[in-house]
Amino acid sequence: MKTPLTLTVNDRTHVLDLPAQTPLLYVLRNDLELNGPKFGCGLGECGACTVLVDGMAARACVLPIGRLAGRRVTTLEGLGTLEHPDPVQEAFILEQAAQCGYCLNGMIMTTKALLMHCPSPTEAQIKAALKHNLCRCGTHVEIVRAVQRAAGLRQDEDTL
Amino acid sequence: MVSGAKAVRPKYPSADTLLYAEVIRPPEYRLRNGLFTCRALAAVDENSVAQIKGLVQLVVRGNFVALVARDIQSARLAARKLALVWADEAAADAAASSSSRAPAACNAESALAEVADGRQRTARTYGWPNRLRWGNRPGWVMADARPDCLQVWAPSQTPGLLQRDLAALLSYDTKQIEIFDGSRSDGVARSCADDAAADAALLSQAVGQPVAVWLSPAYQPVVAALGQAQRIDATACWSPATGVDEFEYQLQSAANSAPVLAMLLVNGGLQPLQAVGANARALYDFGQSKVRQPGASTQAYRAPAQAPLQDTFARESFVDELARDLGADPVAFRRDHLTDARGRALIDSVAQQAQWTPEPDHGLAAAEQGDILRGRGFAYAHSPADNGDAEQGTRSAWVADIEVNRVTGEVLLNRIVVGQDSGAAIDQEALREQLQREMLEGNEPLLLGQEGFDQWGRAEAPDGTPAMAGLPVAIDLVAPPATPASGPVAKPGASMPLRYDAGVLHPAVAVIANALYNATGIRFREPPFAADRIRAELAPVKRQYAAPDKSRWRSLATVAVASSVGVLAIAWPWKGAIEPISRPAANLYSAATIERGRLVAAAGDCVVCHTDLEGAENVGGRAFDTPFGTLYSTNLTPDEDTGIGRWSFEAFDRAMRQGISRDGRNLYPAFPYTAFAKISESDMQALYAYLMAQPAVRSETPQPEMSFPFSYRPLMAGWNTLFHDPSPFQPDPARSELWNRGAYLAEGLGHCSACHTPRNAMGAEKSGADYFSGALVDGWEAPALNSLSKAPVPWTEDALYDYLRFGASDMHGVAAGPMAPVVAGLAELPEQDVRAIAHYVASYSNAEPAPETALQAQAELLKSRAAVSPSALDAGQRVYEAACAACHTESDFPSFTDAQTSLALNSNLHSSTPDNVIQTILYGVQAKQLELPNIGAMPGFKDSLSDQQITSLVEYLRLRFGAGQPGWQDIAGKVAHYRAHAGTH
Repeated sequence: MKTPLTLTVNDRTHVLDLPAQTPLLYVLRNDLELNGPKFGCGLGECGACTVLVDGMAARACVLPIGRLAGRRVTTLEGLGTLEHPDPVQEAFILEQAAQCGYCLNGMIMTTKALLMHCPSPTEAQIKAALKHNLCRCGTHVEIVRAVQRAAGLRQDEDTL
Repeated sequence: MVSGAKAVRPKYPSADTLLYAEVIRPPEYRLRNGLFTCRALAAVDENSVAQIKGLVQLVVRGNFVALVARDIQSARLAARKLALVWADEAAADAAASSSSRAPAACNAESALAEVADGRQRTARTYGWPNRLRWGNRPGWVMADARPDCLQVWAPSQTPGLLQRDLAALLSYDTKQIEIFDGSRSDGVARSCADDAAADAALLSQAVGQPVAVWLSPAYQPVVAALGQAQRIDATACWSPATGVDEFEYQLQSAANSAPVLAMLLVNGGLQPLQAVGANARALYDFGQSKVRQPGASTQAYRAPAQAPLQDTFARESFVDELARDLGADPVAFRRDHLTDARGRALIDSVAQQAQWTPEPDHGLAAAEQGDILRGRGFAYAHSPADNGDAEQGTRSAWVADIEVNRVTGEVLLNRIVVGQDSGAAIDQEALREQLQREMLEGNEPLLLGQEGFDQWGRAEAPDGTPAMAGLPVAIDLVAPPATPASGPVAKPGASMPLRYDAGVLHPAVAVIANALYNATGIRFREPPFAADRIRAELAPVKRQYAAPDKSRWRSLATVAVASSVGVLAIAWPWKGAIEPISRPAANLYSAATIERGRLVAAAGDCVVCHTDLEGAENVGGRAFDTPFGTLYSTNLTPDEDTGIGRWSFEAFDRAMRQGISRDGRNLYPAFPYTAFAKISESDMQALYAYLMAQPAVRSETPQPEMSFPFSYRPLMAGWNTLFHDPSPFQPDPARSELWNRGAYLAEGLGHCSACHTPRNAMGAEKSGADYFSGALVDGWEAPALNSLSKAPVPWTEDALYDYLRFGASDMHGVAAGPMAPVVAGLAELPEQDVRAIAHYVASYSNAEPAPETALQAQAELLKSRAAVSPSALDAGQRVYEAACAACHTESDFPSFTDAQTSLALNSNLHSSTPDNVIQTILYGVQAKQLELPNIGAMPGFKDSLSDQQITSLVEYLRLRFGAGQPGWQDIAGKVAHYRAHAGTH
């Protein structure tokens, strides 16, 4: 079924004439040229495509756009810029939490969602929240540190 | 006439401040003879809704209860959860205990009786309802009550009356009240739009913010509860030789229109609004004439604008009937008994313009006519001027030409000829414009169908004016005869008096009643003349099917099954082919009928089976694996060669009800004609109209691959005799209207039992205790809907409603598989119809509905039991964690996922077969109606998980979420089967 659909992404409104079943990720990457969210497994398993929908973490590869009428989508591009990165992005840079970096979009977006609902998470809560975001390079320790830094639970003295 | 409506519509209240309300009515309330009775509110527990987010305020005023919330879902949820107690007995309100006399019994048998000396007596009773109908189409009604002004957005037909009611109810001056979206002046009909407007206004004043309420058929009970506004008994004595010599006219009710319901509920009774002298008077000279007014009642509510309409309707209908009793032409009869010379002159000129000739009543010869009956009627009214001077008053005479569709009951007003004499010359163009508008606004509620499918999809034209069936009407205006003595004749121009307001519409209702009699031979003595009433009265010629005496055929069949096929083919009555026709023109049916047919098709889920695998709707070709072989759905588009383009309605109707194709071949009962036989005549007609109006698509239906003897189609005739009951739906009088509506939809169009009832060895649905006990259809388990349901938390009516309306229930999960397109189709139905289906289906679970808290507790228990992963099945757990848990796990912080309902509550994991679980894992949930708030979407895993992985996953899911039920057998075999056989859904 094709119905023109209004989608708000990073505070900009787009009118899309696409089948309602189209996965959000395809629209973001192909039509809106927002390549922060990555295509990983395509089945909602790895989390590389994570975006925020109304402030909640969501897996864009399995989310049909028909489900998003009236919702607000935020991608990595909507968090901050090179000059003014979001505190979460800044923390990931400072902690050098990337190796290949493919999973980082999902790590950052999930962290953002976590901190919005739980500003001072314990280490266990952080690990639980990121459990279903897969990283195959092995920067897990740095990622947990980055989340703690973004939450203000970690100061500069341990790094640099 | 007071008019509060404005031509210019202001912006609606800002969405930021607008609140939404759901009103709760007492379980019983009624108004009879000016006496309002209702079960009083005994107690209400505000704490029962304290937890509901978004609820703004519980408003209680007398017996008026409503919940105001920031969104309509919260308001409805609160209305459902609110604990309140109503008094047991309906108490008459002391304030309204006027001593109304009981209405005289109306006995139609004795309506025409011989008195003495060969004189005859005609006695008739006419009624007028307080509300003609709930409204014209569903929509929001809004009100914004501020200290200094009240703005209301409501499609009111009687804005003047509404304004007066609101002023009295909420203590405003009528000048402070503005009504938008309604008629410009009071029309013939009062609808529940006024009641909804009062609800919204009252609530807006209570919460200090603008409030919206949803006007829908949910208001229909108000129409019945408020009952009649006026009853008029008219009697006349006459003899064929001397004509009428005695005439008596009795108004039974002092109250002549009920105020808005909120006023009755809040005040607990009627407030005297304005004392109005009864104004019925003798118009014609019939020797001894008596007009009896009703007993004075201080509690009566008077709506002066309505009284002359009621009066004219009764008198003009009665005079028409008298003329027929006497064998006189109704126009000549009126003219002969009118003493007023100007009135006679007006009648003459209107009759001349309309080329009135005495005609026989068509209804008498209706049997020989086609579907369209034509008729014309006449009515006359004379209302005194404002100062009571009859000579200076307004005379108006009308002739109307109508068409009645005897199948659908639709009435089309084709042409009216109107003559009006208001004393001075009037602006004819302005009168024409006013009439056009009034007929548009005023007649729709008078003639529209009452409920069910009828009111669906009455779309709005782009400019916001209501789309009309058969209107605008051709209006012929007749200049009044020269009236030299009646004062100065104004020249055309701005100064011309527009004195047509008073009484211009008075004959409008009677003229249609008289024309209807002329067309159909049926006298309607109370408006509205809705399509469903007309259909019922016309009792359409029943299509006679060759339905043999069942008992006889049954015994014959038992013998015959054992004999040879050849004998069988002869033993059953041969069904011939029905002659092909050329494809009906697309404009044969009205847009309204086609739209209704679209909704009938949606309710009947035609596209679920008749869509091909590429998604082209109604072209057929979809395969169905049955125990008897493979079948293919047929092409329902009006293609002349491969579709139903050359099918007449008769052929279509026969196929739908009897399972016999146009060419006489029997259809297999995979096509649920056993259910469709219950569809009403008019719904069937609309469905045919819709299908015939669709684009024709050429698509050959593959031949069925059935095993012998099922490949021999004539056998199905025997099957039909054994298992098919083609009788139409019969409501169960012991059940509620809601239940019966649900039964009609579920057993007929919805054909729920086609999937949810197991079939016997011959492929026929079992009956009795097996009804709704669940079955496996096309690789999907349609779960039991009766007491055998395996749902971990019992289904309730509310849960069924949520599931059917929104595609998910928070206690059971989402609709998937073949049920997803069913929910998508139901999304088109009015809320009340979905409610009715839920109510009907819920009646099959024998258990007493458990309280909401008990259900919640059970759900929590199931979830907590499944929270810990069992350690036994490592392989399955790994697959679950990798493939499923990201969405299906309840984490501490919210994520946006369609897997909101815990798997612990999923019926499929509690079922005795794993089929639905396996199908869902392999192919995912591909819902089409993604706009529904709760419909699900899930990817399929057939390409990323092996058979072995899926098998261990299914074992794991059953162990963890199946609440201790035994593990399933042969999961691996089924996984392999369903991977190889994708199924057709």
